[in-house]
Amino acid sequence: MIQPLSGIQNTVAALDAERTRLDVISENIANANTTHGVDGKPYQRKVVVFESAMQQAMGAGGNGSMTPQLHVARIDTDKRAPLEIYAPGNPDADARGMVATPNINIHEEMADLIAASRAFEANLAVVKNEKSMAMQTLSIGKH
Amino acid sequence: MSPLSAIPQTMYNFGSMPGTDAVRPSAMPTPGIDGTTPLGQPGEINPSQPAGDSFGSVLGKLVSDVNQKQTAANAAVDGLQSGSDVPLHQAVIAMEEANVSFQLMVEVRNKLLDSYQELMRMQI
Repeated sequence: MIQPLSGIQNTVAALDAERTRLDVISENIANANTTHGVDGKPYQRKVVVFESAMQQAMGAGGNGSMTPQLHVARIDTDKRAPLEIYAPGNPDADARGMVATPNINIHEEMADLIAASRAFEANLAVVKNEKSMAMQTLSIGKH
Repeated sequence: MSPLSAIPQTMYNFGSMPGTDAVRPSAMPTPGIDGTTPLGQPGEINPSQPAGDSFGSVLGKLVSDVNQKQTAANAAVDGLQSGSDVPLHQAVIAMEEANVSFQLMVEVRNKLLDSYQELMRMQI
């Protein structure tokens, strides 16, 4: 099989991983005020863990060399304790009037969001560059 | 209406363009490719040619590879449209790959046609 854009598999894997990271960040932001999650406890912040694993490169005839490729190893939860705020009117408040709210700091999430979207952009720039190089190569010898 | 709804239509039109019939392996022996087959059998000119894939079969493989890329791009766009778990970037990159492969095939064809015409213009 011809590979007109060499090394694009790595970039696609990185884009997939960054996409997952962006999804998890948006889930964190969406649940920043969820005091009653599916398990009855406040929502726990989620963190994406990336890892690089050896993948069979899609070389000629599929027998290419092994290259390390990025992918999402697991989506873990942040172990920090929930924030306790005083809100006696809240139905989830305990006897002391304290409500456990998710351990999410919106500023931290926004900073993560910027980092993830810039990483996504960087990979898109690689694709764009890869394509323009291929097109320029194809026009060698044109007059 | 989805902003991407025009893509399958475009892809469809692209697939049904008269020139792209050559991409389908079933329609492979088109005049353009056929006309070059004599180039692939230079047995009399160069008898010491090593046995291997003939020029025609290499060209045929290129054409079917390009066809596979187009099919993969179509499948990715279809998956995106039908709401299956295909991310947008994968569909777009599949389309770009198909595009670059197609351009490569067109360039090969142009080169072949150029050399054929050059031969035809030769003074005897």
